[in-house]
Amino acid sequence: MTPLEPRSGHTTPPFRTTLIRVMAVQVVSLILLWILQARYGG
Amino acid sequence: MHPLNWLIVVGYLAYVVVDGVRRSKGTKEIEGYFLANRSLPWWAVGLSVMATQLSAVTMIGTTGQGATDGIRFVQFYFGLPLAMVILGVTLVPFLHGAKVFTAYEYLERRFDARTRSLTSFLFLLSRGMSCGAIISAPAVVFSAVFGWDVAWSVALIGIPTVIYTMVGGVQAVTWADVKQMVLIVVALVAIVVVLLVKMPVSPDDAFRIAGATGRLDAFDFSFTLNETYTFWSGLLGGTFLMLSYFGTDQSQVQRYLTARSVDEARSSLLMSAYWKIPLQALVLIVGILVFVFYQFQAPPLLYNPAHEAEVRAERGAEYDALESRFQQAFTEREAAALAVVGTEGDAGRAAMDVFLAREAAVGAVREDALALAGEVTGEQPRDVNYIIPRFVLDHLPIGLAGLFIAGVMAAAMSSIAAELNSLSTATVIDFYRRWVKPEASDAHFLSVSKWATGAWGVFACVVATYAATLGSLIEVVNRFGSFFYGSILGVFLLAMLPRARAVGAFVGLLAGMGAVAAVTFGAPQVSFLWHNVVGALTVLAVGMLVSRLIPARG
Repeated sequence: MTPLEPRSGHTTPPFRTTLIRVMAVQVVSLILLWILQARYGG
Repeated sequence: MHPLNWLIVVGYLAYVVVDGVRRSKGTKEIEGYFLANRSLPWWAVGLSVMATQLSAVTMIGTTGQGATDGIRFVQFYFGLPLAMVILGVTLVPFLHGAKVFTAYEYLERRFDARTRSLTSFLFLLSRGMSCGAIISAPAVVFSAVFGWDVAWSVALIGIPTVIYTMVGGVQAVTWADVKQMVLIVVALVAIVVVLLVKMPVSPDDAFRIAGATGRLDAFDFSFTLNETYTFWSGLLGGTFLMLSYFGTDQSQVQRYLTARSVDEARSSLLMSAYWKIPLQALVLIVGILVFVFYQFQAPPLLYNPAHEAEVRAERGAEYDALESRFQQAFTEREAAALAVVGTEGDAGRAAMDVFLAREAAVGAVREDALALAGEVTGEQPRDVNYIIPRFVLDHLPIGLAGLFIAGVMAAAMSSIAAELNSLSTATVIDFYRRWVKPEASDAHFLSVSKWATGAWGVFACVVATYAATLGSLIEVVNRFGSFFYGSILGVFLLAMLPRARAVGAFVGLLAGMGAVAAVTFGAPQVSFLWHNVVGALTVLAVGMLVSRLIPARG
């Protein structure tokens, strides 16, 4: 087995948990981009 | 390039091929060859989805776009997370649950064989061509930078990819994608670190200089159909494009059909949604930092070394004059940039105005040089795609340049491999097995699938060799898909409506493509991102109307 293959007992996170994490990452990304534009924008 | 850099590149190529061939050992039937027996974990599939979408165009074209145009291209991806969530609750359960090999196979079950064949044919047409464009993007740049013939560059990228895809099937493609994705991110982060270390000003000042030129304006809220990258075109047009791409394009659908379950397939898509915007921002920021770096380090007047050599040979005196003008303009701009650093308030604004005037002067000399290159070479003089490769070869330390070149190859190979694998799947499952030899054995189909992968690989390499004169590589790839994407998405959306019928789907599909063609040629000023919206909505409207007007047979 190579190190990149799945470990036994590996579980998929619940869809809702992944969804919330995805949305959180997007919101944080957009806020950071917004701050970048507000602070340095032309 | 230093021999150590070449060693890294050659080592990477050898490893990918050997590992791909090793993974072919468990593949004895087409379910394993095309779908890995639906056994892959969500995170590997998610990385594969990301790697497939991140091509060499992203590594050299998008970083170059960051240097010249700034970060606003990131808006193109604003619709992606939304699209992934919509797909996770709609098409993914449908397609994964139907146990199909191709997305188009599902359309025959829901509608009829002609809708399946037409959508699959459109996929083969658009992806077959775009696969060539994806190989040609890095091949053209390598050819100019290293002085090779384009055909050799195409072969260097194409042959290893065709070998591991042909022999190893989707297992080889997916596990290679995982490693390639890691390599790409490491290469990008390494460049950012090197840039920050080499930059003579602080990151804050670097962003001030970039921001003054508008390169950090990530949001454009103007609602205009003519502008390609705005918040609204990204959110609305981008959502439709991503829905089409990830929901109906076999090169993407096949990634998540390999997942163990519907839940894992959905998680794999969401995983790629996680990181797309941050990753794309990172790619663009690499370009922006290179732009700032070249405020303090003289850049080449022409980034394309092949054009530079040709212009020097034929119009040497004119080019020398331009270079001395350029050197003068650069020195003045460098002084203006240093004046911006450390000044605040009114003095800071005045210094910024001077800097912008100097920046425009440098831009004017570059325009003259590009026009001269266009005259001499008779080719498109735009050299955006050469900015980052030139920076890498001229300024990155030994080892990192090789890592970046390997990263560009990894990005190209991951996209090409997924496309070859899916082109072969659609050819064999939707045409050969459906129309030519439905009763043949699994071993026969496996053998045909391998040959089909090889044949598509050869086709893509031939297209790549002659696609060298295409214009902006990013737009070409996206534009080509936009002709069909929206309409095919419309058919899949119709499939989820209980009242939709086969005849409605077929007529709707033709009407959708007609509508996109009408907008493309009748209103060329409308940005291509809106074509997907037009195509999908036309198919839905016409499809439902025809389904209602023409009663079902039987």
